[in-house]
Amino acid sequence: MSVAELKERHIAATATVNSLRERLKQRRQLLLDTDVAAFAKSQGRSAISFNSTDLICCRTLQGHTGKVYSLDWTPERNRIVSASQDGRLIVWNALTSQKTHAIKLQCPWVMTCAFAPNGQSVACGGLDSACSIFNLNSQVDRDGNIPVSRILTGHKGYVYSCQYVPDQETRLITSSGDQTCVLWDVTTGQRISVFGGEFPSGHTADVLSVSINSSNSNMFVSGSCDMTARLWDTRIASRAVGTYHGHQGDVNTVKFFPDGQRFGTGSDDSTCRLYDMRTGHQLQVYSQQHEGDDNDVPIVTSIAFSISGRLLFAGYSSGDCYVWDTLMAEVVLNLGTSQNSHEARISCLGLSSDGSALCTGSWDKNLKIWAFGGHRKVI
Amino acid sequence: MATNGEDAEPEARPQPSHPRPLRRTGDFLGKHRLSAAISRLNQEIQYLQAELDEIETMKPSSEACKAVVLSTEGKSDALLPVTPGPENPAWHRWFQRVPSSHSRKWWTHKGSDVS
Repeated sequence: MSVAELKERHIAATATVNSLRERLKQRRQLLLDTDVAAFAKSQGRSAISFNSTDLICCRTLQGHTGKVYSLDWTPERNRIVSASQDGRLIVWNALTSQKTHAIKLQCPWVMTCAFAPNGQSVACGGLDSACSIFNLNSQVDRDGNIPVSRILTGHKGYVYSCQYVPDQETRLITSSGDQTCVLWDVTTGQRISVFGGEFPSGHTADVLSVSINSSNSNMFVSGSCDMTARLWDTRIASRAVGTYHGHQGDVNTVKFFPDGQRFGTGSDDSTCRLYDMRTGHQLQVYSQQHEGDDNDVPIVTSIAFSISGRLLFAGYSSGDCYVWDTLMAEVVLNLGTSQNSHEARISCLGLSSDGSALCTGSWDKNLKIWAFGGHRKVI
Repeated sequence: MATNGEDAEPEARPQPSHPRPLRRTGDFLGKHRLSAAISRLNQEIQYLQAELDEIETMKPSSEACKAVVLSTEGKSDALLPVTPGPENPAWHRWFQRVPSSHSRKWWTHKGSDVS
């Protein structure tokens, strides 16, 4: 077959793919008979009512000398690891505000960090295209630094995001600018599986975020600059289980909903969305009118759900941190206008494992802990 | 920048049998890449058709919306002003006096059990 004939076949196949995708899009649209907010309203639900001082900033963790890019809590409730433009990881006791470890990184351009499930190790990655593991119990070297215990190499692009598999100390998932996600065995440093890359159903641009399903740790979702989120089964690397369209910009952040059957996303298009994992339906768009011109529209940098799922916390480049009522799709509080709020972009946020506190990290170099300090009614 | 082929070639070349200059490697790679791309597209077509079949029997979004609403109920949540119990005493740790040799700070407790 000549090149010309092959080219014609390529054009025809591309046209078929595009037409099938369009048909799928239309069929899906027909199945969207309601969204979460309309349904909840029809059931007589009403929005959560907060007083403006209900969620209080009860700690400010100061110590980084550069923008905070990433944070992660330990499962045992009170410790946080953060990564900053200053080239350091800091481990904090969030309750006492004390720093228990400060790790100076060989590659200062770090973008992500994560705590191991047992709280004994931390991982980080960034522009070195690698993921470094530090054991917090290691003897420090003569410069007072914790030596790196393992470097996971293999990505051909920046490491934007990493997360340990919840019930497995030795497994970690990373997402990268090389358009893939990788499942690693931390003890051997080997790649167990590569998700995407040469296979057709992988992301077609940088992968910025991952979230592992805590109800079923074989499943994880990834968000990408290709404007989609994709669902993966770690046992089947050859193809994404599902691709979720809708966003009009980079998907910066993804997080599973507590029931493990849905997940949320946040994007450069300034919206958050809730998707149903199994059907792929886009169940809700969380979108707020922003003042100012179109050039000023803030991007969503990070999201987290409260432990029941009723609240969706979303950090924005404007420094706002909207608390969305997940069911009613209304902003019920803005931590960005609270007393003691951050003074710059919120770059990361996360809930403590018991759901009693939210930690936000910002380009203002600080982390803040927020908890409910109002009058709680227990029913 | 185009150069005159004759100036670049010190020796005379035999007249090629193809109307265009032969670039065997380039053509082979081009065909190979195209074939691979077409295979991938065909595979994608199969997957998309399977997805279309699946959609025929898929439930509408209202079913999932109902599940979302139900899943948030009955779960105690420390950050909600109204929440089902039990209230975990550990939730209040953020507002309790924290013994610390470095700091004399403590945070007032604004909670439901302050009389």
